[in-house]
Amino acid sequence: MIQINCPFCGKRDHNEFSYGGDGQIDYPSLDAVADIWHDAVFLRENVYGRQIETWQHLYGCRSWLLVERDTRTHEIFSVKLAHTDWQKLMEKNK
Amino acid sequence: MTPVRIPHKSNLDQKKEKSITFFWNNKKLKANKGDNISAALLANKYKIIGRSFKYHRARGVTSAGVEEAGALVTIGKGAYTEPNARASTTEVTEGIYVYSQNAWPSVRFDIGTVLNLFSGFFAAGFYYKTFMGMPPFEWGRGTAIWMFFEKFIRKAAGLGRSSRLADPDTYEHLHTHTDILIIGSGPAGIQAAITAAEAGQDVLLVEQDFAIGGNYLNLSDKSEFKEQISKLKNNNITILKRTTAFGLYDDATVGLVEIVSTDKRKNMPQKPRQRFHICRAAKVILATGALERNYAFVNNDLPGIMTVNSARAYLNRYQVRVGSNIVISTNNDSAYETAIDLADAGSHVTVLDSRERIGDPLLCQISGRKINLYLGSAVGKAKNGPFCPSIKKIEMAELTGEGWRHSGSLSCDYLLISAGWSPVIHLASHQGCPTKWNEESACFISNGDNKSIFLVGAAAGIWQNEDCIISAKEVVSNIVTKKQKKLSIFGGWNTPISPLYEIQLSVLKGKAFVDQQHDVTSSDVRLAHQEGFVSVEHLKRYTTLGMATDQGKMGNIVGIALMADALNCSISEVGVTRFRPPYTSVSLGALAGRHKGSHFKPVRRTPFNNWSLDNNGVMIDAGLWHRPWYYPKQYENLHDAYVREATITRRSLGICDVSSLGKIMIQGPDSTTFLNRIYTNPFAKLPVGKARYGIMLRDDGMVFDDGTTWRLAENSYLMTTTTNHAAAVMATLEELLQVRWQDLRVHVTSVTDQWGGCAIAGPNSRNLLSDIVDNPSEISNDTLPFMGVKKVLLQNIACFVARISFSGERAYELYIPSDYSHAMMEFIWNKAQKYESCLYGLEALGTMRIEKGHVTSAEIDGRITIEDIGLGKLASGNKDFVGSALRNREALVKTDRPQLVGIFPKDKNKTFKAGALLNESGQEDGHPLGWITAVTFSPALGHWIALGFFEGGLMNATGKQIKLSDPLRSNFLDVEIVPPQMYDPEGSRLHG
Repeated sequence: MIQINCPFCGKRDHNEFSYGGDGQIDYPSLDAVADIWHDAVFLRENVYGRQIETWQHLYGCRSWLLVERDTRTHEIFSVKLAHTDWQKLMEKNK
Repeated sequence: MTPVRIPHKSNLDQKKEKSITFFWNNKKLKANKGDNISAALLANKYKIIGRSFKYHRARGVTSAGVEEAGALVTIGKGAYTEPNARASTTEVTEGIYVYSQNAWPSVRFDIGTVLNLFSGFFAAGFYYKTFMGMPPFEWGRGTAIWMFFEKFIRKAAGLGRSSRLADPDTYEHLHTHTDILIIGSGPAGIQAAITAAEAGQDVLLVEQDFAIGGNYLNLSDKSEFKEQISKLKNNNITILKRTTAFGLYDDATVGLVEIVSTDKRKNMPQKPRQRFHICRAAKVILATGALERNYAFVNNDLPGIMTVNSARAYLNRYQVRVGSNIVISTNNDSAYETAIDLADAGSHVTVLDSRERIGDPLLCQISGRKINLYLGSAVGKAKNGPFCPSIKKIEMAELTGEGWRHSGSLSCDYLLISAGWSPVIHLASHQGCPTKWNEESACFISNGDNKSIFLVGAAAGIWQNEDCIISAKEVVSNIVTKKQKKLSIFGGWNTPISPLYEIQLSVLKGKAFVDQQHDVTSSDVRLAHQEGFVSVEHLKRYTTLGMATDQGKMGNIVGIALMADALNCSISEVGVTRFRPPYTSVSLGALAGRHKGSHFKPVRRTPFNNWSLDNNGVMIDAGLWHRPWYYPKQYENLHDAYVREATITRRSLGICDVSSLGKIMIQGPDSTTFLNRIYTNPFAKLPVGKARYGIMLRDDGMVFDDGTTWRLAENSYLMTTTTNHAAAVMATLEELLQVRWQDLRVHVTSVTDQWGGCAIAGPNSRNLLSDIVDNPSEISNDTLPFMGVKKVLLQNIACFVARISFSGERAYELYIPSDYSHAMMEFIWNKAQKYESCLYGLEALGTMRIEKGHVTSAEIDGRITIEDIGLGKLASGNKDFVGSALRNREALVKTDRPQLVGIFPKDKNKTFKAGALLNESGQEDGHPLGWITAVTFSPALGHWIALGFFEGGLMNATGKQIKLSDPLRSNFLDVEIVPPQMYDPEGSRLHG
């Protein structure tokens, strides 16, 4: 059972969180053509090692997070708020 | 001779043992308090405890611990039955019922033994081969023989039978936190606990046995043990007995199952039977010891054969001397302590040591005692006596220049084996810590991960008692001082161990077992090799080696060694399968804890819940929600009730609890932009005070959810979602705002629980509403037209009313603050008595929506497009929205996709069920052209109707004979495909 260090709530069991998906997808704008959307929605790297993924602290502050995790060992290297402005605020107020 | 109870010789245990009674196959027997079942049965001279899994061979006690392969028993009766319990780890408690397994009519005379005669058929791969057809008769032609024999084989195979009754006990879940978790309370574990506690650490020490001490308990001299125990007690260490660490997980999370002792539960039925601790430790120290191994020789499974150290445990811990004429066959030094203890207890002991030379200290120790020693010798075959399944004699083998040779026989009443020790590295293996074959100690060793998992004592391959203690001290002080001081102890034997995995002589014939619990023999391993299943993973699956309840604790190493021999390579090249949790079996009840019955999942009740119950409402589960299903009058069943409810609602007035719909406040300057992006239809021009029905798609273009959204103010909306998708919609909106569209200034808040929602439907709905609102002029057809929304006062309480309809009647949804919902419903229902009126539940709600062709999650199942449900006109062509790019993919715009249709039976008296398939008449066997999603009796139309999907929709069905088929329920009938709006298609009842 991994623990995720939520920037708002602190270290919590992963069953408080729900897994989102690949955190490195640059979602195209809504008016982008189908091919670009196809790649963003369906093409995924099957990473063996470190990857950035999204999680939501569902039973906590409900923040969406960017978690850098090793898919082999489940080791977590960093947890950030997905919203960049909020993340900056958190860092500033540290 | 048979086992006997001997008096205490230790003057530290002067007190007389308390005698208790228990039942073995319903026979009343005496035991000492503190006995395990094996000890109690041995003391009562029972050597045959059970019958084996496949061949029904007689089996006895093989160990004194978790590695037990023979003495598996069933404990308890009726609903309390616990099959496959290890007699060696279960303590005898007053009045406990213990039964033998897998034998009929009794363990001594078991009919199933005839399977032995057919053992040639049951060799490795038996199941796979019979699945493929039995050679040579039907090789490759299928499995008729398997079908024929299956029921007989299934009956004969397997071990204990579990009860079919519900488990009457309760189980608890706990979260436990500690600095250092120490698993195992032997010499190393106790020392680790003391050192850590003295350094100020918070320590939790767990022990799977019902007594603390580990190998200390097996020693005849207990003085050091007493000393260590008093230190342990003085250090404020939390100790959990009867607690197994069954799995090691990420972040040093350990699964512990604690068995609550029967004494503690006496007269306290509320106490749980077991506790499941989720233990989070900063550091985990495995002081889990090592298990003594057997080796493969003919009949190595006879009752009367056990490991050497377990005989020592029975002698020194339980005061049971297993035999008077004992042969010990060993390849290492550890067996000599037991030989000495047994000789001192009066047994005649013969030691066969496979090594040709042993150290002088050992020779000195045994000299002068009644111990015969044969060097370069081992047991080649065990033999039972006439009319007696347990051991009477052994055939010896001696080592010569050309290998092993038969060298005579010896009589004995017990045979003890020590073919080396395997450290218990299972927990480290769970976490993927590397394991390495250690040639010198002939075992797999793990060093943990040097971060949070550490091994000490015998678990680290350290064999001498004093070395175990030093290793625990050094490892723990490195942990607490955060230093990496070099350890001084590396383990190893004083006189080297000589590897011994099998003795096979052509003159000695019979079965030699590798995995006793699963009846896997050495010839099975060779067969696997011969047939090409040489990888350790294949070996395991093909022979089922290590797949019994002991998970190969005894047999795996022997199996791997035999495979290495067959492949002519080393054991480390063959490798070992990674251990997986649980280390020992865990009862499902412990994992479930209190999450059973009505506590299996949380319950959500609407603010009207109690009011509905008071008014005869019958509830149904809808996800987590309890929703009113129907409100029967006297003697009414479900059908009568919902038909009446739907009829009265369409004729006059009905009231329904719709609180479970998801309600989300969407606020902020960019709210309109946000809604315009997530809904397929335009929201930019929705005026304040109006609601709009909208559909959301997923990124891939499929329909996600639908509902109405009300514009309450310029920058404030209330979105409603379906009951089913409320949580998913909320999470998605948050994701869009926090991850994708960070520039939008929008705030979303779930307010589902803040409002009680009720639908007021039917021609009299406006009349009732006029009677209950403080200012009736606010809700006239002009002031509150169809899709109008406004805030109104009821009894001076601010509520929202929206004129929207799911039933197809003139209808309103009234949202009342939750705290007032119950009282307000009382008030409304009183006022409703003026009209012909009813309360209606989910069933009548469903009836009316099917009549109108409105979709719910039965239709929006994640595989359909907005066109499939006939709502393509709601997808705007003038804007981009979530899913707009991918919804036009080639396969999603084909005209022959299944589309929403209504279904009437041709014969209006006929009924049918959801899930039935639709086909063209005469092609019922082919791929179906459609299916039924929802069925109801329609009071408005007077017959059964349905919604469903049909390829190409109504157009494609025209002129075709359509057959509905429900083969599982043997229902076949002719149907007519009609438009989905089956009642009042113009919507005239809605707008008036």
